[in-house]
Amino acid sequence: MERSGTRTAASCGQPTEDSAMNPRTSAPHRTPRARRVRRLTRLLLAGAAAVTLLATGCSGGAEGSGGGGGDSASTLIAYTGQAGDYQVNFNPYSPSDIGGAGLIFEPLFFINKTAADAEPKPLLGTEQSWNADGTQLSVTLRAGATWSDGEPFTADDVVFTFQMLLDNESLNSTGFDGAVAKVDDTHVTFTWPEPAYTSGPDVLSSIVIVPEHLWKDIDPEADVLEEPVGTGAYVLSDFKGQAFTLDANPKHWGGAPKVSTVRFLALSGNQAGADAIAAGTIDWQTGPIPDMANTHENFPDYDTGSVAQNQMVLGTCASAALGCQGPQTDPAVRQALFHAIDRTQLNKLAFQDTAAEISPSMALTSTQADTISAQVEPKVAPMTAQPQEAARLLEAAGWVKGADGIYAKDGEKLSLTIEVVTGWTDYITAIQTIAAQAKAAGIQVEAAQSSWNEWTDKRFKGDFELAIDSLWQGPAPDPFYLYSYFYDGRMTAPVGTKANGNNWSRFSDPAVDAALDALQKLSPEDTAGRQAQFDVIQSAVATQMPYIPVMTGSNTSVWNTAKFSGWPVDGEQYAFPAVWSDFDAAEILKTVTPKAAG
Amino acid sequence: MNYLLRKLGFYAVAFWAALTLNFVIPRLLPGDPVDILLAKLSQRGAVVTPETRKAYATLLGGDTDASLPSQYVTYLANIFKGDLGTSISYFPAPVTEVIGASMPWTMALIGIATVIAALLGVLLGALVGWKPGTWLDSMVPATTLLAAVPYFWLSLVLVYVLSRVLNLFPAQGGYDVVLDPGWNTEFIGSALYYGFLPALTIVLASIGGWLLGMRNMMVSTLSEDYVLTARAKGLPARWVLRDYAARNAVLPSVAGFAISLAFVVSGSVVTEQVFSYPGIGSRLLAAVTNNDYALMQGVFLFITLAVLGANLVVDLLYGLIDPRTRAR
Repeated sequence: MERSGTRTAASCGQPTEDSAMNPRTSAPHRTPRARRVRRLTRLLLAGAAAVTLLATGCSGGAEGSGGGGGDSASTLIAYTGQAGDYQVNFNPYSPSDIGGAGLIFEPLFFINKTAADAEPKPLLGTEQSWNADGTQLSVTLRAGATWSDGEPFTADDVVFTFQMLLDNESLNSTGFDGAVAKVDDTHVTFTWPEPAYTSGPDVLSSIVIVPEHLWKDIDPEADVLEEPVGTGAYVLSDFKGQAFTLDANPKHWGGAPKVSTVRFLALSGNQAGADAIAAGTIDWQTGPIPDMANTHENFPDYDTGSVAQNQMVLGTCASAALGCQGPQTDPAVRQALFHAIDRTQLNKLAFQDTAAEISPSMALTSTQADTISAQVEPKVAPMTAQPQEAARLLEAAGWVKGADGIYAKDGEKLSLTIEVVTGWTDYITAIQTIAAQAKAAGIQVEAAQSSWNEWTDKRFKGDFELAIDSLWQGPAPDPFYLYSYFYDGRMTAPVGTKANGNNWSRFSDPAVDAALDALQKLSPEDTAGRQAQFDVIQSAVATQMPYIPVMTGSNTSVWNTAKFSGWPVDGEQYAFPAVWSDFDAAEILKTVTPKAAG
Repeated sequence: MNYLLRKLGFYAVAFWAALTLNFVIPRLLPGDPVDILLAKLSQRGAVVTPETRKAYATLLGGDTDASLPSQYVTYLANIFKGDLGTSISYFPAPVTEVIGASMPWTMALIGIATVIAALLGVLLGALVGWKPGTWLDSMVPATTLLAAVPYFWLSLVLVYVLSRVLNLFPAQGGYDVVLDPGWNTEFIGSALYYGFLPALTIVLASIGGWLLGMRNMMVSTLSEDYVLTARAKGLPARWVLRDYAARNAVLPSVAGFAISLAFVVSGSVVTEQVFSYPGIGSRLLAAVTNNDYALMQGVFLFITLAVLGANLVVDLLYGLIDPRTRAR
């Protein structure tokens, strides 16, 4: 229910004509009591039909968009997907932060991950540049910004923040390893012993600046900041377990945003969020609702916006050398499964047609297409099944088709198990679809459902054959980050011990590791030099295929277009449209405007 | 006195066993809290790097390297000090604070609903049992049907009809979030208004059991000689019903009521999910899915204490009411 992609497929239509539910077919008892029971049953059945309609999202008109009682037209009510009540915590460096980062505390710059060229947008910083050899990043700070308690924002706050990360390993979740120094009140420099171009985006856009005058006296690990003081566009006005409210900050350097009040509600999960949209009690949520393609027809006040950025993959336990077992340790099997998937059908059946194409190079086709290597073929995964290609690959690798239509080699049947989390209905449907498609190509695929805890444990310990999951992007629209998170051979471990990084496929290739190191030292301007390294990585990624590309998954936001305008939609994709993505949400709330007062 | 000591001794042993199970069971769950936390963060768009893992492991890790026996000793010692540890999923909030924030909601909602259901069920059961064979009998199948219907389905039907179609009650939440929680009429009114629908579903779903039990006891009590005597004396029917039949028939229901009060503490996970109600059930669910050992243990401890406490009270009361249970 947390996972943003989880959704239940639903279709419009009549309630099912199930005989058990149909009063006409019930046995003709004639005792008074039975008749009374039947009357009652019929009443309940009417309710059941109503609920079926509700569940499939086919109820006709939605009620008006009135929010909670006493709210003005410029109050925006959002639901982040938080399941259960809030516990107060506005410490942006705490993993249980509920809303401090982004809206209350700001980083130096904002980087729009949905744009192809990521020119950082000034927030607390105004200009930034690298020195010639990439060891020093100079940042000019905004003059005249103030903390919400009236104190001025200065270079000392920036130095304090970065020094705090260096002194407290437990806060340093981006792994900042440079040195920070103040030049004057509006200039700071970050220095590394070696070229560190790829550390730039984290420094600029992931680390929020905190006020030295207050933070020097608190325990930054354990303080929950019940009264946060930041530079951001909003200040905390009120906190309760069921909701917290932020008010526009009149002292904000960019002026107070037009949405004067933002309220974040706690609901019980995706289903409750969808219900709240249907009832018109929230204005913005990121998460699935039934019959998404027709949102605007079902709920005239609402519309959806989505961006596909998460590559859905069948991750494999790929390395036999590190102890993986099963047919998927053979790259030919992984390639064959890749070709056996009919992605058009899969998209329709499992993802409500919201998923997008995927490149075997794992670079995003929307924003990173320029980096896709000429050596990778095909550039984009085929949208239809290619059983002949799958057969060719398997037969070349020594697999022989058995009498049951399934390939086998050395007495071992080509049978694979995909691990999935119980309740992730779209992924479960996806596996069932893939299983049917793979069978046609001579590969047997089964789903194994387990709890989230167990599934995570299996993946990190290497106790699996295949697992369906999605990969994620880094702080900037640069495929380097995805490769360094998931394909770095130094970030994995033998089966049985836990992988210390995110590389749970146990893929390891010294050439890829060397290319990743080289990329860190190359300026973003040096496209040709970077491309040479991407060529090395991508040809390994596409031929070895430790994570079998399925499709690129979307995150969909549903928002109230009757009350507010200026949402990030196609053509003006100024931020990633997810309410839970702190820095993007801050950009969106600064841009959105209430349509009318009243 | 001997009886009392024996009982207390038994409950002390049961309590220790419950504490130990409470310690062991969460640790049998696969996975570890940092993995789950990172998986959650990454699913929600956060960038999770190896450094993130290291940072949060340092932050949350604490003494996970300590051996199980030494963890057990610290656990027991801390419980007697009233220290339930720090919740990982709501880090750095202490468990007592997390539980304290949600317990009143659960106790109010489920407690009031349980009392209403029991009172109504027993009253109706007494009436139905008093006049067997009349139209009143139809209440038995009607209410047991409601109890037999899956609870989540019943509540969804009610939400649809009363909240979406008729717009009588809010479908989600525990109070109007614009108001400040406090002991003022406006807030209490809002809490009652928001709590009505969840309470109604609980009452409807559980009234059948009370009604059936009471009605059956009434029927068998009515055939007792003393009821016949009372009628023969020419006492008004109302007196016979109240002082002779119902009074005796209600005894098993009283015991059952004490036990069901114990389960009030554990709340109703399903109710709280359906209505996004701010109670302990949703916290428990979150604790389990996040491998939050400390919070799980805290919630289970409260449930254990409540069940054992209610049982003890019933045991002792029964010893007073009915001397036969004391005799050897």
